[in-house]
Amino acid sequence: MDDKYSSNVISGGKLGRVEVPNARLTRYIVLLLLTKMLKALGIFESYDLLKVVHIVQFVFILKLGCAVILLFFQKPFSTGKMVAKRQWIKILKHAVISSIISLLGFFGLTLCGPLRTLLLFEHSDVVVISLLSVLFTSSGGGPSKTRGAAFFIIAVICLLLFDNDDLMAKMAEHPEGHHDSALTHALYTGIAFLGVADHKGGVVLLVLALCLKVAFSTHSRKLSVEIGGAKRLYALSSLVSAMVLLPWVTVLSATTESKVESWSGLIMPFVMIIFSVMILDFYVESICTAKLEAPRSARYGSIFLFLSGLLLANFWTHPLTDQLRAMSKPGQQASTEHVLSGGVLVSACFFILSDSILSSPSKKGQKGTLVGYSPEGIPLYNLMGDALQHSSQSLPRFIKDSLKQILEEYDSRQIFYFLCLNLAFTFVELFYGVWTNSLGLISDGFHMLFDCSALVLGLFAALMTRWKATRIYSYGYGRVEILSGFINGLFLMVIAFFVFVESISRLIDPPNINTVMLAPVSVGGLIVNLVGICAFSHAHSHGASKGSCSGHEHGHSHGGHGHSHGHGHSHSPGGRGMNANMRGVFLHVLADTLGSVGVIISTVLISQFGWLIADPICSLFIATLIFLSVIPLLKDACEVLLLRIPPEHEKDLNFALEKVQKIEGVLSYRDPHFWRHSANVVAGTVHLQIMSDVVEQRVIQQVTAVLKDAGVNNLTVQVEKEAYFQHMSGLSTGFHEVLAMTQQMESMKYYKDGTCIM
Amino acid sequence: MAMDGMSTSPAGLSFHNGSDFYPRKLGPKPDVVPSGVTERKVGAVDKPDMVAVDVINFQDSDTPLHRKKQETDTYVLWSGPPWTLTEQGTIHPFRKTHKSFLGKFVQEFNLVASDRRSWKILLFGVMNVICTACLLMWCNSTNSMALTAYTYLTIFDLFSLITCLMSSWVTMKKPSQLFSFGFERFEVLAVFASTVLVQLGALFILKESVERFVEQPEVHTGRLLVGTFVALFFNLLTLLSVKNKPFVYVSEAASTSWLQEHVADLSRSLCGIVPALSSFLLPRMNPFVLINLAGAFALGITYMLIEINNYNAVDTASAVAIALMTFGTMYPMSVYSGKVLLQTTPSHVIGQLDKLLREVSTLDGVLEVRNEHFWTVGFGSLAGSVHVRIRRDANEQMVLAHVTNRLHTLVSTLTVQIFKDDWTRPSLVSGVLPAATLSASDYGGASGFLPPASSKQAEELDPLTSTPTKPSSPPPEFAFNTPGKNIQPVVLPSTHQHRPYNLGLAYGASPYTSMLNQGFTQPGGGLGVGAGLGMGARLPSVQGYRTSFSAAPHRYGSNLLPSQTSQYRP
Repeated sequence: MDDKYSSNVISGGKLGRVEVPNARLTRYIVLLLLTKMLKALGIFESYDLLKVVHIVQFVFILKLGCAVILLFFQKPFSTGKMVAKRQWIKILKHAVISSIISLLGFFGLTLCGPLRTLLLFEHSDVVVISLLSVLFTSSGGGPSKTRGAAFFIIAVICLLLFDNDDLMAKMAEHPEGHHDSALTHALYTGIAFLGVADHKGGVVLLVLALCLKVAFSTHSRKLSVEIGGAKRLYALSSLVSAMVLLPWVTVLSATTESKVESWSGLIMPFVMIIFSVMILDFYVESICTAKLEAPRSARYGSIFLFLSGLLLANFWTHPLTDQLRAMSKPGQQASTEHVLSGGVLVSACFFILSDSILSSPSKKGQKGTLVGYSPEGIPLYNLMGDALQHSSQSLPRFIKDSLKQILEEYDSRQIFYFLCLNLAFTFVELFYGVWTNSLGLISDGFHMLFDCSALVLGLFAALMTRWKATRIYSYGYGRVEILSGFINGLFLMVIAFFVFVESISRLIDPPNINTVMLAPVSVGGLIVNLVGICAFSHAHSHGASKGSCSGHEHGHSHGGHGHSHGHGHSHSPGGRGMNANMRGVFLHVLADTLGSVGVIISTVLISQFGWLIADPICSLFIATLIFLSVIPLLKDACEVLLLRIPPEHEKDLNFALEKVQKIEGVLSYRDPHFWRHSANVVAGTVHLQIMSDVVEQRVIQQVTAVLKDAGVNNLTVQVEKEAYFQHMSGLSTGFHEVLAMTQQMESMKYYKDGTCIM
Repeated sequence: MAMDGMSTSPAGLSFHNGSDFYPRKLGPKPDVVPSGVTERKVGAVDKPDMVAVDVINFQDSDTPLHRKKQETDTYVLWSGPPWTLTEQGTIHPFRKTHKSFLGKFVQEFNLVASDRRSWKILLFGVMNVICTACLLMWCNSTNSMALTAYTYLTIFDLFSLITCLMSSWVTMKKPSQLFSFGFERFEVLAVFASTVLVQLGALFILKESVERFVEQPEVHTGRLLVGTFVALFFNLLTLLSVKNKPFVYVSEAASTSWLQEHVADLSRSLCGIVPALSSFLLPRMNPFVLINLAGAFALGITYMLIEINNYNAVDTASAVAIALMTFGTMYPMSVYSGKVLLQTTPSHVIGQLDKLLREVSTLDGVLEVRNEHFWTVGFGSLAGSVHVRIRRDANEQMVLAHVTNRLHTLVSTLTVQIFKDDWTRPSLVSGVLPAATLSASDYGGASGFLPPASSKQAEELDPLTSTPTKPSSPPPEFAFNTPGKNIQPVVLPSTHQHRPYNLGLAYGASPYTSMLNQGFTQPGGGLGVGAGLGMGARLPSVQGYRTSFSAAPHRYGSNLLPSQTSQYRP
């Protein structure tokens, strides 16, 4: 201890966390290693025990034994201050939750087997907290932590997907077979309800229990300070939980017959488990956390635990099981143990990697925000972190707010409703596909989901469009919807391309198509999409009557219908009917409708006449139609994005510029830039040269009025007199500026001279 | 030199001057005109750089005219000035060009192909198409999703080659009337479109992969490795041998992708072990090379696992991985180019811009800067517009010149609108002064610099600048921070030393009051004082005007003062 603090940190030049050399800590590390091996042994043994002992009884015995030993060692009643009544209630809560967690953990153990339980459940708090902070907060702590989190997730997925365990598969066959109690039955039904296959339910359960455990231990830290030490709390809590479990156990043992023949043979294993899993691990962990610091002990501990688990899984021959089985029912199912599969090995490697990455302290320290510079020029950071400044919004509130925002405006509301309809249809299709095990339906459902992404994009754009202008988006977010329309156009092009390629390959080799399921699905899709088309074409007409009227619109508009709405202020000359975003969404829906129609037609043709070629031809036709219908949208969006003069204003602008020329005192103009920024902003800048005896503000007013008539509603006019050029030529340091200015002046002068002479 | 000048924005100016203003000005233009050059030389003898300017100017205005003629062949109506369009009648220019879209395309293509450098790009493009076709066939035969995902990267290379061609086309084009900002945006749009397209392709791969997770078909490994290496080779060859300006710019300017960050993190820890690698590993990796290598690596693993263990699901998994990497690589670039397309202020110049705007708002007479819009036209060049509200008695042209001068260093295409509140209402002094003097004095600042008809003769002698006529104040050094130098020559002639305490006041008001005096007393001398103030007093104005600003209420409050001061002055 003295050694640790005697080393001079400052003079060493190494600020920050100091790693104590390993040599001094070897004994602790060895101790940790031994403990973890014992713990792994205990877990393996308890797995065997759990085959005969009911889980509630098992947990009760563990808690009771633990409480007895701890009462003997800690003497929580005789030492320390008195525990108040309020604190007893807290301890009761603590005990209840901790027994629930242990029940869950041991239930997971019965499902998954000891090795997988070790891998999933025995992570230290440090690891899980940094994992969660990577996943759910923005300041995860650098790419290495992200990598660790990715490894963790990959490991879990490996366990879920690539672990072909015989026993688990067998259990999956009889999930409802042998439920001992109401509790396990409830858990089983819960897992079945989750929709996860049964043998994977254990994995999910353990992951959930792990998160619960971490949250619980974090919360109980305050209570342990209040009570007077974690050990005292542990002792009291295990006592209380044993008492809580007592009635349940008595009821259980009264009602159900026990599988255990002789409890005396189980005393030794129970003592061993209580000692290794509950007592020793707790004490050694607390010592090592103090000596080695939490991250290090977590890293070593988990690595030792996983390695010893792997070793045991390889060599453990389940002596106890055999012994027990020999006692109880000989010769029943000899070889149903969890095996060591490749998936488990890979996931163990990933778990070890991710634990060592996640538990390592981040090198960079906290992420500070730059405050400024000290007088010496050293950057100063604010290390308080974002966590304090962010007031995190609760999820329901967030959902409520965004829903309210969505429903506020017509466009986003339409998109949202249609998205909901589409999603509902998709999920019905998917569920039905899974139900009937029809691949065609499932793949069509995924296709619909793929299409929904375009709707989501449109919805986001419609939301963003209403955001207030910021420093960066100085004109407002109106342009987002044009960009989204552009992206949706590209999306449709990609879809058309893929359909095209697919249909060509089918044209060469027409596959046999099973038309049984196709017709109802495509009719359903057609109905949904027709609803969408109605909604959006109405949206269009609504938009047309609200924002702008008249003007060329692409072929699918229902323009005549729109004008009858007449909201009174339907005159912004020459605006386009629907904004680009809605057009993109509309075209998407239209393309889907076309697809459904094509499928229906080809189904009819195939089933009636057996023309297999009808399907690719239909798709070819549809692809071409989609492609052709997208081109106008893309062209318009491109023109806006490329800052072209808005074509519908072009003539007006030319007239307006001519008019500007004729304003009294205006000599000439240069650099006229006009562009459409978004659906309702047409911006423009122009430089005017005027005679020196004219009032600038009057000219600005007149020019603004003239250009406003031409549709420009965000105008900047720079009025220059000859004095300006003189100032500039005097001021300007740059060569090019002088060049430009002198030329400009020259043109002015000519005119001026001319007027003078005339 | 002259060509340098042409490539940037002044070229646009000169082009407008040369072509747009000439034909119209020809009517009222007198016959004395073209001799302006020699005249100017006389006037600008003491400014050697002005002479140089003139010479180049002449050459310069010649070339754009010539160039413009070339263009009129291709764009008969586009590049014409608006009034010619409307005068010529009802031909809609866009429809005209739209009709012969294909012909126009061929014409533009010939324009690009005339450049020797684009041949190489075209060659690579042809190679890329062949390679892509080959790969797509192999994808079909191997039935491998991962190889398809990797092939999309090859298709992306094709897009980037097209972008490269487009950027060389853009450099040949000059701003037209329809695309008044020039064609640089085409480049940005091409980058955006190609990154978005490849991301959509990746999305498609994701969707297909999810379907494949449900039912995994068998993957044949026969051509898998061959395809991988062919694609890798072609991609790297294209990336490293074609100089792709827009993509290089975007990949450097955009924020790092997660792939780059992870590689940087890994290589940093690797360099901790093997320091010799640091020169190779530590600099920022090219994201395209990185994703190509990573994709090839994933395909290699896929091949190995399928060969050894027949894990067909690995193919789908690595397709997902490649698709995710594609997203990661392309997303920052499409965000960057999308932000350019959205006309946003680039975040890296915000600091500089704020500094400049703060400077502008402390200029004398400036009350407020608002409606500031700054955005990038293409990759790099800023454009912007800003409204500046000024005091009612401030000189518009001077403020305009100063604001432009400040912002011009950063913003190349700038428009500044100056506005005053209640400009129709005459200023406060009008109650005291007779209306006749107002016309001359209310906008006294401007007329101070360009004295009206009375000083016409003097101006014709020296038409360009009013500065050189004043021998006492040489062309000022424009040292804003050393006011003493500039104060001296102006202070002494105009205001007498009997009011030293009121220096600032006298200064601030001087364009106004002195002209007031001159309007009354000596019109002829207006030029000297006005010019002196125009060039000399402009610069001390920060100090001078600021004090005057605070002092102004006193002065206007006791509204008899102006006339009194005018009496004090000679």
